[in-house]
Amino acid sequence: MFLTRYFSEIAEAVGSLLKGMRMTGYYFTHHKEIITQQYPDNRATLVLPERFRGEVVMTHTENNEHRCTGCTACELACPNGTIKVVTKFEVNAEGKKKKAVDKFVYLLELCTMCNLCIEACPTDAIRMAQTFEHSVYDRSQLTRILNKPDSKLQEGVE
Amino acid sequence: MMKGETIVFYLLAALTLVSAAMAVGTRRIFRSAVYLLSSLIGIAGLYFWMRFEFAAAVQIVVYAGGIAVLIIFSVFLTQRAGDDMPTPPMLRTIAAAGAALLGMGLVMLQLVAHPFPTPAVAEVDRSVSAIGRRMLATGDDGFALPFEVVSLLLLAAMIGCIVIAMRTKPNQP
Amino acid sequence: MWNLAQLTDLIHGWLYETFPPAWALAFEMIIVGIAVIGLFAGLGLVLVLMERKVSAFMQIRLGPNRVGPKGLMQSLADTLKLLVKEGMTPDGVDRFLFNLAPFVAMIAAMLLMAPIAFAKDFQIWDLNIGVLYVTAISSLNVIAILMAGWSSNNKYSLLGAMRSGAQIVSYELSAGLSILTVVVLTGSLQISDIVTAQSNGWWIFKGHIPVIIAFVIYMIAVTAETNRAPFDMAEAESELTGGFHTEYSGMKFALFFLAEYINVFIVCAIGATLFLGGWMPLHIGEWTAFNGIMDWIPSSVWFFGKTFFLIFLMMWFRWTFPRLRIDQLLNLEWRYLLPIGMVNILLVTVIAILKWHF
Repeated sequence: MFLTRYFSEIAEAVGSLLKGMRMTGYYFTHHKEIITQQYPDNRATLVLPERFRGEVVMTHTENNEHRCTGCTACELACPNGTIKVVTKFEVNAEGKKKKAVDKFVYLLELCTMCNLCIEACPTDAIRMAQTFEHSVYDRSQLTRILNKPDSKLQEGVE
Repeated sequence: MMKGETIVFYLLAALTLVSAAMAVGTRRIFRSAVYLLSSLIGIAGLYFWMRFEFAAAVQIVVYAGGIAVLIIFSVFLTQRAGDDMPTPPMLRTIAAAGAALLGMGLVMLQLVAHPFPTPAVAEVDRSVSAIGRRMLATGDDGFALPFEVVSLLLLAAMIGCIVIAMRTKPNQP
Repeated sequence: MWNLAQLTDLIHGWLYETFPPAWALAFEMIIVGIAVIGLFAGLGLVLVLMERKVSAFMQIRLGPNRVGPKGLMQSLADTLKLLVKEGMTPDGVDRFLFNLAPFVAMIAAMLLMAPIAFAKDFQIWDLNIGVLYVTAISSLNVIAILMAGWSSNNKYSLLGAMRSGAQIVSYELSAGLSILTVVVLTGSLQISDIVTAQSNGWWIFKGHIPVIIAFVIYMIAVTAETNRAPFDMAEAESELTGGFHTEYSGMKFALFFLAEYINVFIVCAIGATLFLGGWMPLHIGEWTAFNGIMDWIPSSVWFFGKTFFLIFLMMWFRWTFPRLRIDQLLNLEWRYLLPIGMVNILLVTVIAILKWHF
């Protein structure tokens, strides 16, 4: 029947509109749930969400050891050429030559924080940090070398 | 010294006439529509000046809100923005001016010949309900027949619109 | 108590005693003009701030909170910014119409102020066709939008103007029909008569369900007529970069912006006058004590309270509902609002003839 459908459509529409208005009306009358972060003011107490991705860093232990083997999996995984791994050959204790990382170059200006390098890393050497105040006066400062000077490969990481 | 009322009358008349002249004089078609609109509003202003508010409001609703918008829409749908219209040939300009002058002459003759007696009733009832009663009255001073004829015409126009706009079923020719 | 008519009578009397009538009339016109412009400026500031605060709270945000205490000076700062900005006229526009359009919008909004009763016996021009005058003049607004859209020489502006034209022309019908319901009940087009008829109760209470339906239709139709979301097709930011005022900047843009808010105020004022009794206080039957207390509140407070309640309702719509598509918009008008409005006005006419209303 045309008329019943017509009026039930109207009733349904009015009902759903009122539902929406009740939601916004609830928000309007409950000011405590404000989600705005007044950022520069609350810089000291600012808590970022756990999964926020700010920049790629390499984890180092207190003995200045990292877990990067220089396998360049991250470099291959990166969609826009953010990572350049410069490798070198090191002679280990048994006298064998072994590939190791010389410079882990990270171009922050190209990074889109897509997380693919972290997923690609077989040894969990890199991770995403939560820092986000990246503005600098010179572009060259955005080119970073992630492995600290004189850092070594952690024992037992292949 | 002129009375304030007279000054206002001449201002409104000047607005109406000048914008009417500009409406036919300009070569940009959209401007022409806007000048026409201001001319119509000038006439509405004259009705307000005469304190026939109902006629003035109807003038604005029908002409400014309806006809002018219709004209502007047809300009939108058919013309390109900012293009000047081509200059009409001299002969056509002269013919148009002649026709306009002839029409004006006829109207002026009528105006001069007509004596314009002062109406016996000093104050006309201008309220909307009085207008409505006259509109539907069937007596000597009523307008029921023209009113109904006009509404029939509008009804015919409406039905025509519906027929034109109606979607034909795809299997029918 | 608090009768503004005494004030106006005082000024009127003094002017006519001191000056010849023509000059006194001219002075009165100037005073009214200044008052209206002042009201415009004040309303613009208040409404813009209100819109931003309401939208912020509805979206669990804070809104402007830096300029002045709690951000109260924000709209003043905005006004200052717009005043000192360059009013550009882009190349290739129709200069005359481009510069004229904001003023037409503003003048149309100003003319609409005339028949509104702000308080008891406080009205600029109580003409006998008040409501018809409002519907007539508000149709001039579309001309300003069409002028702006066409003269900008910009396809977004033109599209916005055409959308807005189609929208305003079609929603005017529903708004007119719902206004007519109250006119039928009152039997007069004069604003003062309409308000007086509601002295024993507002039409929305006295007129049963048909008047409530008319009120709902009126609110929907005027939201569309003032080009506000969810009917802001004319300036849909995500589609048309600003619609008819894309090319406007500085003070010319501000005039459009102000005219939009003034129009919102006016349609809400008319809605409050027609359905909620204008400046008439809330009276309930025979409760004389209650009615006495209600009478004690000044009539202008009643008027502005009701108007701002309706404005808040429109803001509530705006910040809740998503924008309609153009076909949905026309469907809503021609398939739902208009037929319902027509049946509704028949019902109201029956009620008015049989005197079933209270």
